[in-house]
Amino acid sequence: MSLLATEILTPRYELAWYPWAVQYFFMIAISYSALMLSLPGLVFRRERFLPLARLALLVAVTCTLVGPVALLADLHQPARFWHFYASPAPWSWMSIGAVLLPPYVVLTILYGYFAWRPALVTRGAEGQGWDAKLARLLCLGNWQTPQLAVIVFGALAALFACGIMLYTGAEIAILASRPLWNTNWLPVMFVLTGLIAASGLVMLLNRLMAGANADVYRQGLKVILVAILGAAVVAATWFIQGMTGYSPSVQAALESVRHNPDWTAIAAWALSAGVVLFLVTVAMLRAPKWQRWAWLLGLLAIHMGWAFRWLVLMEVQTVAKNTAGYYHLAVEAGSYGLLGIIGTFGLWLAVLLIIDILVPWRDVNNARSATY
Amino acid sequence: MDFARRTLLGQMARLTAGAALVPLSSLANAGINDQPPRREGDSSKRYAMLIDLRQCIGCQACTVSCHIENEAPLGSFRTIVSQYEVENEDTGDIATMMLPRLCNHCEAPPCVPVCPVQATYQREDGIVVVNNEACVGCAYCVQACPYDARFINEKTQTADKCTFCAHRLDVGLLPACVESCVGGARIIGDIRDPDSQISRMMAEHHDDLMVLKPEQGTSPHVFYLGMDERFVTRPLADPAIWDVRDNEGKEIGYEFAGH
Repeated sequence: MSLLATEILTPRYELAWYPWAVQYFFMIAISYSALMLSLPGLVFRRERFLPLARLALLVAVTCTLVGPVALLADLHQPARFWHFYASPAPWSWMSIGAVLLPPYVVLTILYGYFAWRPALVTRGAEGQGWDAKLARLLCLGNWQTPQLAVIVFGALAALFACGIMLYTGAEIAILASRPLWNTNWLPVMFVLTGLIAASGLVMLLNRLMAGANADVYRQGLKVILVAILGAAVVAATWFIQGMTGYSPSVQAALESVRHNPDWTAIAAWALSAGVVLFLVTVAMLRAPKWQRWAWLLGLLAIHMGWAFRWLVLMEVQTVAKNTAGYYHLAVEAGSYGLLGIIGTFGLWLAVLLIIDILVPWRDVNNARSATY
Repeated sequence: MDFARRTLLGQMARLTAGAALVPLSSLANAGINDQPPRREGDSSKRYAMLIDLRQCIGCQACTVSCHIENEAPLGSFRTIVSQYEVENEDTGDIATMMLPRLCNHCEAPPCVPVCPVQATYQREDGIVVVNNEACVGCAYCVQACPYDARFINEKTQTADKCTFCAHRLDVGLLPACVESCVGGARIIGDIRDPDSQISRMMAEHHDDLMVLKPEQGTSPHVFYLGMDERFVTRPLADPAIWDVRDNEGKEIGYEFAGH
C-alpha cells in the first residue's frame, strides 16, 4: 500500500544561528590560514616568502581581532559570555573552543607585535612627526626586541591555530541531527576553503596595499592550486563514500539537490566556481604575464570561502528535521542579518586601516640589523 | 528502497522502545560529546510519556494549554500536534494522521553534552531541562536536537523546551498537556514503578510501541502507540501550508496551497 501524505499543520521554525556565525567561521578560518601562510617567511625565516608573510600577518592579526566579535554577536545573550569560563563543560566542543580562542587571539597579537616592533623602533627613531611619536609609544619602552619572540609566539599561535581548526570543524561535524553536517570531511573542507579565501585576500591586499609583488601572486596561486585540488579530492571521496556505502550526509545532500531548485542552483554554482578557480589558477601559473590579474582571482577565492560557509551554516538550517519541505531563509536588514554581515566587514576594514596607519608592517624584516 | 528502509526503521523503533526500559549504565567521566552526569530530581523515578494515537483527535488542546501554562512566545511551541492528510493511492481513501510532538526526554539526549555552559542538563528522573539564567543562547542545543523540540525563546533570548511540566510534576500535578487532553491520549508516569499506568500499558503493548527517529540512537522516552512506521522518521510528505503576508511583509494568516 502506498500513501500520499500532505502536511496540513506544522509550526514554522526560525533559524537559530544567524549570519553572524558565518562571519565568525569565515574570519577565524582566514585568520588561522593566513597565520600558516606567514610561517615560512617569519618563523622559518625564508627570505623569498617574506613579502607573503608581511601581508599574511596583517590579514591574520586583523581577522583574529574581528572574528571573536562576530562570535559574541551570534550569542543570544552576549553579556553572559563569562559563563563559558565560570561553568566550563569539557565534553562540549564549543566549550573547548571557548578555552582555545582567547590564548589563540593573544598569541597571534603577540606574534604580530614582536614581528612589527623592530620596524616601529626604526620609525620612532626617524623624526618628531606624530607617526614617529605614536611608534615610540607603541614600542612600550626602550628595550631590544628579542629575536626569538617572533619564532616562539608564531609557533605557539600556529599550535593553537590547529586547535581552532579542529574545534570549529568538529563542533559542527558531530551534530548527527543534521546529516549534511555529520561527516568527518567537513572540518577538512573548512580548512581547505579557509586557505583558498586567505590566499585570495592576501593576493587582493597585495594589489591594493603592497605594490603587486610578483612573488606573492605566484605563491598565493600555488597555495590556491594545492587547496582546490585537496578540496576536489575531499568532495569526490565524500561523494564516492555515499555512492558505494551508506552515508546519511551524501544522501541528505542528494535529496536536497533533487527536491529543491535553490539547492540545485547552489550546487551548480559551487561546482562551476571551483572549476573556474582551478582552471584560471593553472593558466596563471603557466603564463606568468597573466599573474598581475591574480588579485581578481583572489576575489573569487574569497567568495568561495565565504559562500561555502554560508551554504553549510545557513542553507543547511533550512532543511526541516521533522517536517516536510524547507524553512524560509530570510536575511533581514537589521543587525541579525544584512547589517551584521556588512558590519563585520566594515569593522575588519577599520581595523585594517588603523593598523596600516599605526604600524609600518611593510618594513618587517628578518635582517639582524633591524632588530636592535 | 523506501518501503524496505521504512520497515527496517519500524523494527528498529520497536527494538529501541524495548531497550529504553533497561537503565543505561553510569555516564560519568564524560569524554568529548559524552553525556555529563545527571543532577537534581528524584533518582528513584524515570519519567516517560506514552501517547496513544488511537485516542488523539488532533484538537490541539495540549498545544493551547501548554502555551498558556508555559508562556511560550506566539509562534513557538513546546508541544504541537502535527497533522497529515494521508491518501491511499490504490483506493483513494483519505485519512488524517495526528502526531503530537514534544521533547522526547531521551536517555541519551544529544542536546545536553553540546551545551558549553552546563545550562541544559538531565535530571536524575530523566527530565531534560534548561537553566535559562545560565543559558548563553548559543543555540547549539537547538541544532543538536533531531526532533526540533527546542527553540530560542524570543522573550528570554535563551533555549526553551518542554520540561514534562517538571514544576507541576514536582508538586504532584499532571503536565498541562496531559491534564487537558480530551481523549486521554497522553499518559505520563514513572516507568520504574511497575504499577504505574504507563508501566502497565507499556507492558501490555510492548511490541506495538514506537519512538521517533530511533536511528539517531537517542533512546527517546516518549512512546507512541498506534503509530504508522512511515511517520517514525521525517515523513515523506508534501508541505502544504504557507504563510500569507500583506504588502508590507506582515504575516496575516495561513492558507492551504492550491485552495
